Amino acid sequence: MENKNKESKIRQLTDKQKTELAELEATLIGLIDCVQTISVSKEKEKVLSNIAKTQKKIKHIKLGGILSKETKRNLVAYSFIAPNFIGFMVFTLGPIMFAFLLSFMKWDGNNAMDFVGINNFLRLTDDVRFKAAFVNTVVYSLATVPLTLLFALGLAIILNQKVKFRNVFRTASFFPYVASLVAVAAVWNMLFSPANGPVNMLLANLGVAVKNLPKWAADKHFAMLTVILFSVWKSMGYYMVIYLAGLQGISAEMYEAASLDGANSWQKFKSITWPMLQPTTFFVVVILTINCFKVYDQIYMITQGGPGTSTLVLVYHIYDTAFKSWDLGYASAISVVLFLLVLIVTLVQFKGEKKYANS
Amino acid sequence: MKRRICIILVFVLLLTALAGCSNNKGKTTGGSAAPTSGGDNSTNEPITLKWSVWDINSTTYYQPLIDTYEAAHENVKIEMVDLGSADYMTVLATELTGNDSDIDIATIKDIPGYATLVEKNALEPLNSYIKTAGIDVSVYGGITNQIIINDRLYALPFRSDFWVLFYNKEIFDAAGVDYPTNDMTFEQYDELARKVTNTTLGAQGYGAHYHTWRSAVQLFGILDGKNSIVGGNYDFLKPYYELVLKQQEDQVVQDYATLKTSSLHYSGAFAQGNVAMMNMGTWFIPTLIEKIDSGEYTDISKWGLAKYPHAEGVEPGSTLATITSLAVTTASKHKEAAFDFLEFITSSEGAKVIASTGTIPAIKTEAVIESISSMEGFPEDEGSAEALQTANTYLEMPVHVNSSEIETILNTAHDNIMSGNATIEEGIEYMNTEVGKLLQ
Repeated sequence: MENKNKESKIRQLTDKQKTELAELEATLIGLIDCVQTISVSKEKEKVLSNIAKTQKKIKHIKLGGILSKETKRNLVAYSFIAPNFIGFMVFTLGPIMFAFLLSFMKWDGNNAMDFVGINNFLRLTDDVRFKAAFVNTVVYSLATVPLTLLFALGLAIILNQKVKFRNVFRTASFFPYVASLVAVAAVWNMLFSPANGPVNMLLANLGVAVKNLPKWAADKHFAMLTVILFSVWKSMGYYMVIYLAGLQGISAEMYEAASLDGANSWQKFKSITWPMLQPTTFFVVVILTINCFKVYDQIYMITQGGPGTSTLVLVYHIYDTAFKSWDLGYASAISVVLFLLVLIVTLVQFKGEKKYANS
Repeated sequence: MKRRICIILVFVLLLTALAGCSNNKGKTTGGSAAPTSGGDNSTNEPITLKWSVWDINSTTYYQPLIDTYEAAHENVKIEMVDLGSADYMTVLATELTGNDSDIDIATIKDIPGYATLVEKNALEPLNSYIKTAGIDVSVYGGITNQIIINDRLYALPFRSDFWVLFYNKEIFDAAGVDYPTNDMTFEQYDELARKVTNTTLGAQGYGAHYHTWRSAVQLFGILDGKNSIVGGNYDFLKPYYELVLKQQEDQVVQDYATLKTSSLHYSGAFAQGNVAMMNMGTWFIPTLIEKIDSGEYTDISKWGLAKYPHAEGVEPGSTLATITSLAVTTASKHKEAAFDFLEFITSSEGAKVIASTGTIPAIKTEAVIESISSMEGFPEDEGSAEALQTANTYLEMPVHVNSSEIETILNTAHDNIMSGNATIEEGIEYMNTEVGKLLQ
């Protein structure tokens, strides 16, 4: 059947194509003869690729199709990855590259763009709000990552043991993560209200003078702490679940063996739990760090970047610059700085991956 | 092969993205063109106009305005688009970016936002429309002069609110102190606030209240007419910050930090019945009347209005003004029809409809003022009615190329000073340096 098809296709060839075919076949034979005589490898390769090309041409004329079988196969494969790839291009890669371009432009979103070179980056050095935001972002991340890690791991270890109401406690610790941020932030602000919040009342009852009570979210020395505590409380449940999964992957036999050797709880933690959890810890640290650099919503809900600029973070500053002042080029320049910051941190962490994640 | 396809795809996408972003270069420059003759509202083709607004449910004049207009123009249907009040101008600017929005008429909530939109070429210059329609802008009492940018007017005001002093009569009655008058200096005002303050624990009453907005405190400083909030030198704010911070320290007013963290709304603060005086815009009048009437506010029943306190030697009745205006978007496909609707709302006819709901329209004739002060629920004393007469009004934020950047700087400084995280001197120094950099 297939042969017949081929036959019929060849029969349909025009005279011109027939001569072309004959010519090509002749060159092919010539080339094949030629290749046997050549000894220089470079020359040989050239001739070989010529042979392949000629064969392709012959096939093309004989079969008459526009696409060869290989190309067809490749296209099918590409079409499978296309939906995801196009989405990624349009919504992620495109905007990222566009932002890079924008960081060298002056643009307000409507009027024509002006190329301003590295002026946007030079402006950064003189921008006190940017400097404050940069420092605050780093401080926030440096404090939030280890604290969240510590609390998540602690919770996971406790709730991995056979305690009463274990499931209730697990649910309770996971609750902040699923609860609406807006609602819990409002509650948090109520708890930490300077004048009549329960936290300050407790402190007052513990003997702190009313004058010295912290004003929490409205106090430049405590605002960042308030946001950090909130973030830790909100996200520790999620990382606890990841740690729980890690803990359950550790074989009970190891603990039994350690017990037989007379190891105490701390020794077991130090020599079994912590090393076995290293891949988990690595994963948690990477995700957590990236999330910390992206912080925006918590800040918006609790302090709006205030008082003054004491909790202003990079993403907040980018939002203000981009959508309040409509200085999209400059905002992109700040985004590029944030991107580089995250990139460096991630590269450093991935260097560590070889050391920890696969041990 | 694979790599080449990837690279080609990336570039094609980028090029289309870039093309998409800059395709309005030509369009925007044509914005000042005169309206084409034979406007689309003269034909009887049905048109739907989209009007961007905020708080549809709590604003009483939108629907009456639309009803009146639609009754006279059968082919036109007005559709409101509620963009929310919190970030209204930001959302609006985002909507109008790229010139492909379907909003025809934009309500302009504040001046920095207006300046931004004009800068972005998102609004249609109205000069030629105004000329064609024969509108006399002098009815707006000079307000329109303050929003002219590059000799062009991009919006017409329909509401013009100004700041007054709201007071709770019951507190003054209980303390046996005379009501605030329409001719108070800042000193007298401070004295009065202290007189009616009650610091007894449990029965606390505050002499005054400042909402957390910058305008509530900072703009006392521009009422003498000598200083500008976009001038670059803010030394003149010192006495006013001193006055307010001293009141805060003596518990005459509620602590800024507490107000900020609890996000207490000014209406809530006044409705609790323990605030004697509160400076706020006249937009609070209809809310107050309505909520007392509906029984939502149970802790306050008798209230009054007084003119803003004034600096020594300045005419009483000098106050801050906020205008709410309407603009036609450059993206609109029915600019003529949109302007026709805009013209109706901003006309004296529209003003009547607005005034009937207790809101102060931009055209402030005697009749309009009287219709507001004779509304049911408006305080009956003469002083309150007189408080609606203004002498000099200054825009809360004048038109300026950098107004939104200046706003951010001033807000930061205000927040720092009021929460005690910076001294007054430090705050003023910050404003002077940072705004100075912008104005260079």
